[in-house]
Formats: sequence, C-alpha cells, structure tokens
Amino acid sequence: MNAAVNDPVAPSTGAEPASGAVPAVSVEDLAYRYGDVEAVRGITFEILPGEVFGFLGPNGAGKTTTIRMLTGQLKPYAGTARILGRVVGRDDPETQAHIGVCFEEKNLYDSMSAEENLRFFASLFGIRDLDAGELLRRVGLGDRGKDRVSTYSKGMRQRLMVARALVNRPMVLFLDEPTDGLDPVSSKAIRAIIRDEADRGAAVLLTTHDMWEADELSDRVAFINDGRIYATDTPENLKLRYGKRSVKVRLRDGGAIREETVPLDDPAAGERLRSAVQAEGLMTIHTEESTLENIFVEMTGRALEA
Amino acid sequence: MSPGRHLAIIRAIVAKDLREFSRDRVWKILTPIMLIAYVGLFWLLPSTVEETLTVGVYQRGLGTVMEGLGAAERGLQVVEFDSPTSLAEAVASGESTAGETGGDPIAVGIAFPDDLIPAVAEGRATTVTVYVDSAVPSAQRTAMAAFVREIAYQLAGDVLPVSQLDPQVVVLGVDRAGDQVSPQDRMRPLLAILVLLVESIALAGLVAVEIQSRTAKALVATPATIGDLLAAKGLTGTLLAFGQVVIVLLLIGSFAQEPLLLLTGVLLGSVMMAGVGMLAGSAGRDFMTTLFTSVLFIVPLAVPAFAVFFPGAASAWVQVLPTYGIVQTVVGVTAYGLTWSGAAGYLLMSAAWCLALFGAGWLLLKRRVEAL
Repeated sequence: MNAAVNDPVAPSTGAEPASGAVPAVSVEDLAYRYGDVEAVRGITFEILPGEVFGFLGPNGAGKTTTIRMLTGQLKPYAGTARILGRVVGRDDPETQAHIGVCFEEKNLYDSMSAEENLRFFASLFGIRDLDAGELLRRVGLGDRGKDRVSTYSKGMRQRLMVARALVNRPMVLFLDEPTDGLDPVSSKAIRAIIRDEADRGAAVLLTTHDMWEADELSDRVAFINDGRIYATDTPENLKLRYGKRSVKVRLRDGGAIREETVPLDDPAAGERLRSAVQAEGLMTIHTEESTLENIFVEMTGRALEA
Repeated sequence: MSPGRHLAIIRAIVAKDLREFSRDRVWKILTPIMLIAYVGLFWLLPSTVEETLTVGVYQRGLGTVMEGLGAAERGLQVVEFDSPTSLAEAVASGESTAGETGGDPIAVGIAFPDDLIPAVAEGRATTVTVYVDSAVPSAQRTAMAAFVREIAYQLAGDVLPVSQLDPQVVVLGVDRAGDQVSPQDRMRPLLAILVLLVESIALAGLVAVEIQSRTAKALVATPATIGDLLAAKGLTGTLLAFGQVVIVLLLIGSFAQEPLLLLTGVLLGSVMMAGVGMLAGSAGRDFMTTLFTSVLFIVPLAVPAFAVFFPGAASAWVQVLPTYGIVQTVVGVTAYGLTWSGAAGYLLMSAAWCLALFGAGWLLLKRRVEAL
C-alpha cells in the first residue's frame, strides 16, 4: 500500500463550493474526544444549500460524533461548526429550528400513531398546520397514518423517521443511514425525497454504507476514517483521481479465450487498444472503473463495513 | 427563543406524556382499581374509636359491686359470667357472649373467689384471678390488678392507704377523651402517600421509556432544550400525583378543614414524588431495574404513613424521612385541626426535601439525556 495515499488530503479545488456562495454548513478544524480517545481530529468541510454531501466511513470513523456536534448534542472539543452562518452551540434552539435529523436508531413513540408522532414533533417547532397526511404519502405511509407505530415494520419505522426529519421543512438535513433496512422500492422512494429536498434548497448531510447510493445521490463525498477526512470531492473526480481506469478485452485465440487488460494511463494504451479492436478473434470490450468503496479501501486501508 | 415558546414546548411534551400514560395498559387498568380500592377500604374502616373496655366478671355473692364502684365512669363495660371456667374460655377465645356485649371481645376477666367477703373481713389471704388476653399490654394488666385491689379495699370498708394524695389528670393538647382519632383518620395520610408513591412509579416508567427508546435524543434535536424536557417531566409527574391524590382526598371527605393547607401539603408531596420518579426513571436500565429502583425509594418513604396508622411503632428516625412532614400535615389537618402556624415547620421541612429530591432527579436525568 502506498503510504502517501493514506494521508489525509486537502479537498480538490475543483469540487469546493463556488466562491461567494454562503455555505449552509461550515466546519473548521472540528475535534472531539471521549476521554483519551480522539473521535474527531480537526476535520474541515462545507456544504452548500441544495447540495447532498455524502459522509462515508466505517463504524467508529467519527461520522455520528460529527453529526452530534453539528446538531448541538455535543460541544466540540476544538474548532467551530456553523449552521446557516450561526456557530452551533450546545442545545441551541435557534439553530435546531432550521435542521432536521434522521437518526440511525428508530426513536419513535410506539404508543402513538404516525400522524400523532409527526404532529407532536411539528408542535415543538411551533408548527400547528402540518399536513401530516401529505408527508406520510411522500414516504409511502399514507394509508397507515392512524396506526400506532408499535404495529409498524422496521422499514415503515425508517420511512416515518425520514418523514419526521422533514416536518419543519429544514434548511439543513442530517440523514444517518436513511435507507437502512428498506426494500429496494422504499429505498428508491427515499432517495427521490432526498433529491427533492436538495432541489428545494436544503443542504443534506448523508451518511451511508451503500456506496452505490452515495455515488448516485451525493454531489460531493467525504471519506472519513479514524476521525480524519481523507478526501473530499465529487464521486466522479474521486474515481478519476484515485481509481484505476482500464479496458478489458476478450479475444478468441485459437481454441482458447484470452483476456487482456489495457490500463488507460499507460502511454501505449491507444496503440494496444487499436490492435485489440483490429484482432480477428475479438469477442468483447469492457471499460472498468473503480468504485468509491475500492478507492476508500485503497486510501484508508480499511473496509467500510469494518 | 422567547419564554412563551419554551412554555408551548413544555405544554406539548406534557400533553404527549399524559397521552402516553393514558394509553399504557397497566396504568389504564391499575389506576381505577386503585382508586376504588383505596376509597372502598377507607369507608369500610370504623369512623369512631370504641373507648370502653369490656370486662368479664365472676362475682357470686357480691351483688352489683362492680357497678357500685363506678365501672361505667371508668370506661368499663361489665359482663357477668356464671363460672370462672366460662369466663376464662371467653377471654381465651377473644369472643363475648353475643347480645350481652354487642359483640365486643372481652379483653380482661376477673374471677372473684366465692369467699371473698368473709376472707377480707377476717383479714385472711385469698386470691382473685385476673384473666387477660395475650394481646393485652402489660400496662393494662397492671391497671386491672390495681383495680382489683381497690375493690378489695372497698369490700373491706377501708379506703386506700393514701390520704395526702389528690391526683389530678392534666391533658396536654386537645383532650381527645371520647373523641379519639379513628382508623379512618389514621388511614387518610397512608392513602395519600400510597397514591403519591404509585404515581412516582408511573413517572419513572415514562422517563425510563423516553431514555431507553432514545426518543429524548430526538426531542432535544428540535428547538426543545434539555431544560424544557426536564421541566415537562417534572410537571407531568406533579400533575399525575397531585390530580389523583386530590381526587382520593375528595372522595374520602378530607377538605372540611383548612383545604388550602391540605392542598399545599399534598402539592409539596407531589413535587417530591416527581423528583423521585425522575431519579428512579433515570437510574433504571430496563423495566425491572426501574421498578426495583422505584421500590427502593418507596419503602422508606411509606414508613411515616404506616407509623401514623400503627401508632406506637414509630421511632425518632422516622421524623427525618422526606414524607414525614407531608404525613403530619395531612393527619394534622384532617384529624387534629392543624393550622398554618402549626404546620409551618412540617411545610418547611417538606419544601427542603422537595428541593433536594427534585434537584437530584433533575441533575441525574439531565446527565442521562446528555449521554444519549
């Protein structure tokens, strides 16, 4: 493994928020420690309004601690975090009025119906005219709104968690594994909602283990491991910068089938491809790109599920 | 954020808590059953105290000597038996001759010997047997023995060998002779404390669920602050306890005297129990540990009320228990005509305990919520 690759790198300038735009979330040298354990070690990033920011890392990487600092549940040990230009304080209702949080744990009131859960949380934001039915329809629970949450399946609870995070039409949305435990159809619906919220102008911080989901949804992603950010960029740029680009060619060679991989970074790649295409026994040509997960493992030396 | 917004948030959390409480199957069943049982038990208890001691007597040849000695004035009801054996059996069985005594048990029996008068006249030694039930206190046994000696002096025509003594009984405080505190009156503070203690378990359950399901974490990620959450829990516990104890006290007719003083006492008790509920709910890790922690608090807190119901059993240490002042206020107002000035010490002591327990509950719950 290349030691240089494991060092945290500065975000590439091409993927940074456009100059002049006011970030919805601004984090600078943020740090937190539990006793002697440094959970977050001076991370820096920004999220613009309307941007989906994927926060990718294995369990224990510092994702949840970062979210807890950004939502006012933990006081940073060092550094500053700003939400909509305001420094986030511990238990700060002014900031919390503009954020929505979908926790990883399904912390809902089981003895209350879905509508009652949503109306109760809306009342904490001072919202009295919430259209709970409409919100529930968005997450596919329109016909179960009056049922008690205790009768809900894990997936239904997860969808209700997402709906709850949206009751105040937040300007900043924190989603911790929002599609965890959902079937493919429900996951697709939730991803559509996340995209809609970003299109509305909300800044979305998304943590997920699903690299395909992060790739599809995120405008930019940050790789976090061991409390440090290793890379911040668009998924496309990360793949271009750190991924191995190659073409795999399959040829019939007499009675056997031969595979040839042509690295596109090789100066002789053009010539090799041309000769492969002109070869008589050509069967298939596939382009190969690295996945975000491959890049993460290569950069951090640690698998995401770890 | 304005104070009005904080109040609105606290009100919303309290309303949510009360809704959750009303939907809890255990409390939905237990609450009406407890109310009916408490009130029913109260009205089944005697409202007066029988101050007459029923004495069985075998006194052949003595005529109506007992009546002549003024037994009725001494608070004695005399029942005559025709043999020492039947008298001993009546005392031993704890029963009386129905119809003659109206069903009151005979606690003491006095069997005078047939030759009492000649023996006394001749100065000859003779024996009078006093039968007592095993439950009769030694003081009463001694008193009855003294009473028998007095009878002997009367029969002999002598006076007691004391001429310079003129005993006077001075009653300190309200003279309760003929107006003793009834079992109903002694039951009143016990019921009030039981209702308060049970409601502290209800709050502990609500707090524990909020922590264990981590809904508290979701609450404080909204404009609701930890302070709002704690205030709401304290208010919910106080409302639950105060509402139910007032209903019970109304149903058992407790507001005839100094209703405001009584309400102040039980309000302090309700706030105290809210603190206990927050403490127990925060300390519990699951249903069983929450229940266990609640019971740990409840047992000592119930002692002052039991001490009133079973007088004579209390020790001085009972007076330092948090609920002592509440119990004394309730029993004082309803049975002894306690006024504000008389209750001031109890109220101050209760307020101090309120502050300590509510403060401890607040701090512990705050730490638990912050650690979620």
